[in-house]
Amino acid sequence: MNSGAGIYFDGVTSARRDVIVELAPSGLQISNLEGHPRTEWPYDEIEGLAAPENILRLGRRGSAALERLEIRDPSLAAEIDARAIHVDRSGSLQRRQHMRVIGWSVGATLSLLLVAWFGVPAIAERLAPLLPRIVEDKLGDAVDMQVRGLLHPHKAGTALDCGTTAVENPGRTALNKIVGRLEAAAGLPRPLRVDVVRQDAANSIALPGGHVYVFRGLIDKADNADEIAGVIAHEIGHIAHRDGTKALLQGAGLSILFGTLLGDFVGGGAVVFGAKTMLQSSYSREAETAADSYGADLMNKAGGNTHSMATILGKIGGATEPGMKILLDHPETEVRVAAINKVAANQQPSAFLDANEWAALKQICAEP
Amino acid sequence: MSSVEEGGVAVSGGVRFLGQRRSYWRLLIRGAALLMVTLGIYRFWLATDVRRFLWSNTEIAGEALEYTGTPLELLIGFLVAIAILIPIYAGFFVAALDLGVLGKLSGLIAFAALGLLGQYAIYRARRYRLTRTVYRGLRFHQQGSAWAYAFRAILWWVVTVFSLGLAYPFQLASLERYKMRHTFYGDLAGGFGASGLRLLIRGLPMWLLVFAPLALAVSSFIGIDWRAFAETLAQGGDDVMARIEGSNPGLGAAIVFAVLMGGVSAILAALLYPAFQAVVLRWWSSGLCFGTIEVRSHLRMRHVYGAYARFVGYAILFSIAIGVVGTPFLLFLAALGGVGRLAAAGEIATTFVALVGYVIAALGYSTIYRATVLLSVWQLGMESLQLSGLSTLNKVKATGRPSSALGEGLADALNVGSY
Repeated sequence: MNSGAGIYFDGVTSARRDVIVELAPSGLQISNLEGHPRTEWPYDEIEGLAAPENILRLGRRGSAALERLEIRDPSLAAEIDARAIHVDRSGSLQRRQHMRVIGWSVGATLSLLLVAWFGVPAIAERLAPLLPRIVEDKLGDAVDMQVRGLLHPHKAGTALDCGTTAVENPGRTALNKIVGRLEAAAGLPRPLRVDVVRQDAANSIALPGGHVYVFRGLIDKADNADEIAGVIAHEIGHIAHRDGTKALLQGAGLSILFGTLLGDFVGGGAVVFGAKTMLQSSYSREAETAADSYGADLMNKAGGNTHSMATILGKIGGATEPGMKILLDHPETEVRVAAINKVAANQQPSAFLDANEWAALKQICAEP
Repeated sequence: MSSVEEGGVAVSGGVRFLGQRRSYWRLLIRGAALLMVTLGIYRFWLATDVRRFLWSNTEIAGEALEYTGTPLELLIGFLVAIAILIPIYAGFFVAALDLGVLGKLSGLIAFAALGLLGQYAIYRARRYRLTRTVYRGLRFHQQGSAWAYAFRAILWWVVTVFSLGLAYPFQLASLERYKMRHTFYGDLAGGFGASGLRLLIRGLPMWLLVFAPLALAVSSFIGIDWRAFAETLAQGGDDVMARIEGSNPGLGAAIVFAVLMGGVSAILAALLYPAFQAVVLRWWSSGLCFGTIEVRSHLRMRHVYGAYARFVGYAILFSIAIGVVGTPFLLFLAALGGVGRLAAAGEIATTFVALVGYVIAALGYSTIYRATVLLSVWQLGMESLQLSGLSTLNKVKATGRPSSALGEGLADALNVGSY
């Protein structure tokens, strides 16, 4: 078989021309029905293009005009396929390209996960201390505004902060005494702000910029002032390590890594969310361990009873533990308690508050 | 070919769809599997495969369309879009931290800016697709300003929202006129002649059916003493619900009625959606023209309903299959979780299986939707067309050059793309 019928579009006008296609030694000879040669396409310049299944559609590589030649005769199409290297009717070129895509995207995913696991915390670790204080304060104020909005009891006539009225004031004085002693021992570069808020959960949080909130629920659960001091010492650890700022930076870094580059397909959002939650919990577990160790050292330095840090943990940790370990943002309580007791100094502790002061602190949220 | 006259143009201007459903299913299922393996990077290849299939199986007056875009162009367009969007996102992140007016308004500004950028992307993506569409050796192209289009579109959206959707037909007509006025096949200028009023008249019964229950729901609240309600709410306390009940005895019944009517409205909207889609598609196709070439559509509504029925059928089968395959997995993992020392490994395995299961389910439903509804709407829309004035097709001249895929990339990154 040496020649056959084809349909030709010259790419200049839309006119459709019936032509005769001849398999010359070096290329396809295209002539009109009278036999006048129209053009010749060298075999290595011919490419196969998307077309219905029974049509071979050819174009010329690198040509500015969209010249097209359509062959409907299957045997002529097979002959051309055999001669032109860029005609790929079996799809083997395409399959090889697909394999490359799969290989490289698996590689890219792995490298992205490695960056997320090692790179993002490392970058946040180094970037956080470089942030100017004014930026960190601003960040802290913005987070503070949001956190206060979340914590507020939303009940008419109830303030968020405890220790502001005449009844509660002695409690505030007692709290200041604990904070003052810890602050002196810690020697932080910036002043600390510690407030007690009307929240029933036994918890406390530290924000970027040096603001600590102790929840009323924690004071209710505590049996002595050293337990409260231990928790505040732990939070001072977060502030000294700038963990709040780091967490913000890590969150932003993960969002950019995962949110924009990966997972933009149906159902991909869940993968991104799962990966982000797991990674952030893992960063957080490390930060908690470090804050525990800082807090225990600080309690030793301040001459307090470091063991009470462990006892309060035992009281509040057990209740909030069930659920999935890999999603937990704190390490397991037993491990933390053991670690704290191990570093507790063998010294005669001096209590942070006397009995009267401790009773006053218990009443810091006395108003409804 | 007896229906072909001298210059090679079919006299009868029919449109045929040659694609085999089975090939399309194969293409989509393989694509979904690869999407999962590559965490979505394969989407550029899949989008190109899908368009190649749809374009080259659509035969207009005896000649099939051709899609000449490549996955690499889409990938590069996406990367450029990311390079543009990341600083913008970072700017919004910083602005949100601001305590002043800017910080409070940053959410609103971000919403408006991204909406505008989304419309810009839609217009640019359309330009990319048109310049990658080849027919009889000539490409389509699109002129006009994407920003002008974006502002126009945003203004129309505002009007449509405030008119409770009644302005939507006029929005469609206006935006389509802008698009088609700037669309060319070679040197043949496009146009759009359908009137918004006609679409409004066609769609009004459906609008009434969906909004009447909502109007009833709103009217049921007319008798409520809102001031007393607000005061009770502000007082707070544990017995707030009881006191609200006391000050407004009719409120409970009104809420139940409103929820019921909302449900009725939502069900009606879902049932009427295929009809709405058919009406809009038929109206839109019949308004298109290129030079002397005019288009008429005689799309049948019941065929569109057939497509949705197939979707529901396949989706039910798929759900059963997931249940049958997934249950033993979950039972096994639950048993594993009970064994003390294996608990941590069990947790990781459970999370992994749940995540993979969710992704498979989501991709599965989306694949079924694309293979039933989207393919059928394309096929029905195309096959219902009748073209007239085709003699022009002999002497169209080539103009226009290919555009970049930035619009596609932006549309992809902002999730406003289609096909």
